[in-house]
Amino acid sequence: MTGGLLLQSILTGLTNGFVYGLVGLGLAAIFRGTRIVNAMQGDFSLIGGIAAVLLLEKLQWPLAAAMAAAVLLGALAGWLVELILVRPLRKRGGTEDSYLLLTLGIAFAVSALVLYFVGRDSHALPGIGGEGIIVVGDAAIRVHSVWLIAIGLAVMLLLRLFFTRTTVGLSMMAAAIDAEGAATTGIDVALMRTLTFVLGGLVGALAGVLVGPLVTVHYEMGLLLTLKGFAAAILGGLSNPMGAIVGGITLGLVESIAIVTVSSGYKDVIAMTILIIIMIVMPQGLLGRKLRRGG
Amino acid sequence: MLRVEHLEAGYGDVPVLKDISLNVAASETVAIIGPNGAGKSTLVAALCGLVQPRAGRILHREAEVTRMPAHQRARRGLGVVLEGRHLFGELTLRQNLTLAAAHARADAGAKPKIEDAIAEVLELFPFMRERLNDAVELMSGGEQQMVALARALLLRPEVLMLDEPSTGLAPLVVKQIMSTIGVLRSRGMSIILVEQNVALAAEVADRAYVLSVGRVVHEVAKGEWPRFLADDSLVKAYLGG
Repeated sequence: MTGGLLLQSILTGLTNGFVYGLVGLGLAAIFRGTRIVNAMQGDFSLIGGIAAVLLLEKLQWPLAAAMAAAVLLGALAGWLVELILVRPLRKRGGTEDSYLLLTLGIAFAVSALVLYFVGRDSHALPGIGGEGIIVVGDAAIRVHSVWLIAIGLAVMLLLRLFFTRTTVGLSMMAAAIDAEGAATTGIDVALMRTLTFVLGGLVGALAGVLVGPLVTVHYEMGLLLTLKGFAAAILGGLSNPMGAIVGGITLGLVESIAIVTVSSGYKDVIAMTILIIIMIVMPQGLLGRKLRRGG
Repeated sequence: MLRVEHLEAGYGDVPVLKDISLNVAASETVAIIGPNGAGKSTLVAALCGLVQPRAGRILHREAEVTRMPAHQRARRGLGVVLEGRHLFGELTLRQNLTLAAAHARADAGAKPKIEDAIAEVLELFPFMRERLNDAVELMSGGEQQMVALARALLLRPEVLMLDEPSTGLAPLVVKQIMSTIGVLRSRGMSIILVEQNVALAAEVADRAYVLSVGRVVHEVAKGEWPRFLADDSLVKAYLGG
């Protein structure tokens, strides 16, 4: 493999990795905040991506406005999912498997709704910075990919600050760690769980509008992104939302290098084999934490 | 300050508390004593809003709070240190304390700044000054109990409920906790102390209610502690001692 090819695969891997990482970040944040494995996380991306497409194509909105509105729509979708479906299930004593089934059902419903109302066509979103390319040595990267990586990094840092420095972020963490302890500390646990889904919807939709210009937006993209995001989140350590980005980048790089060293047809096999090995060696994930308890 | 009338509560179909009535006056320390399974912790859970009562009323400052969610009760001055502490172990001590200070009762005068409130509580627990950036889960059981107490105090409670604060702790730590309760008492805070160790409860409480199988079966009135403790038949009958 030449140096140029390696560099190209790293740049591609980084770009894909940040997409997986953003989906995984939303998934891990929701898991962290509610202990729910959200099988519809990729469908927040579908909602964001398809909303941006419709606002651009049907309503002729400017790209930035369409993307911003689509991200907010993802947050709204997160709020509605928690309020209308998750919360009633929790009040009736929902268990981990019932939440998984619920969110899987929502994932199929969202996909079917997009198929019914928008159709089975694939839609491409224009990239931030148009179709511009930046040449790096013998490799090239789209300007949009650079934006994607920068936004991914910014989101990761902002979320870290949010969860460690703000009262709302700390309250969300506290509600997730010990709901009874949080409630008796004056924290509205139900509100924190809703906000967790709002955050998950927002980050998921952001991933959708950012991936839209790189692949096409279509009604089946949700489940595929969920699977990749789930792998990223597990790899990074599901208990640590920031680990999802690290897991996503690892997954993206392994896939990308597998394509140039073996074959694109085997990329998933190779990537998943390496992930299995990492999980056996580091069962808590790359950045996962071991539980510690004081005496 | 706090009045409970004919309270009934339980878990699922299982009734635990049956027709509980009690009251706690301002600046009074009241102990809830009784054997294992008497319903002491369920009573605390019902008072702080973690268990919804099936019947009866809970009144705080003569306002009914029976159906009020736990977080609202905490913010209006009903503080609690639950059995098992329920701290946010992964968070630092500073973050645990900040969260409590941020949600403190705000209805009695100006709420102090978070840093000022924490500094005030640290005067009661000086060892915490060196541990503010430590994850709480790394602290010892005794230290964690102090953190739970400090967190509850940062909510500026009018009534502080303590559920078995001495359980599983070394005698020296228990002594420190009881001494802190003494300080709070002297500051005029109303305290409900749930305690299995009757001698310990008698050290700090003005009065006591004895619970057995979910009912109040005896009341130790002010000044009656010596007679109650001296009467072996009473202690054995109610506490199985």
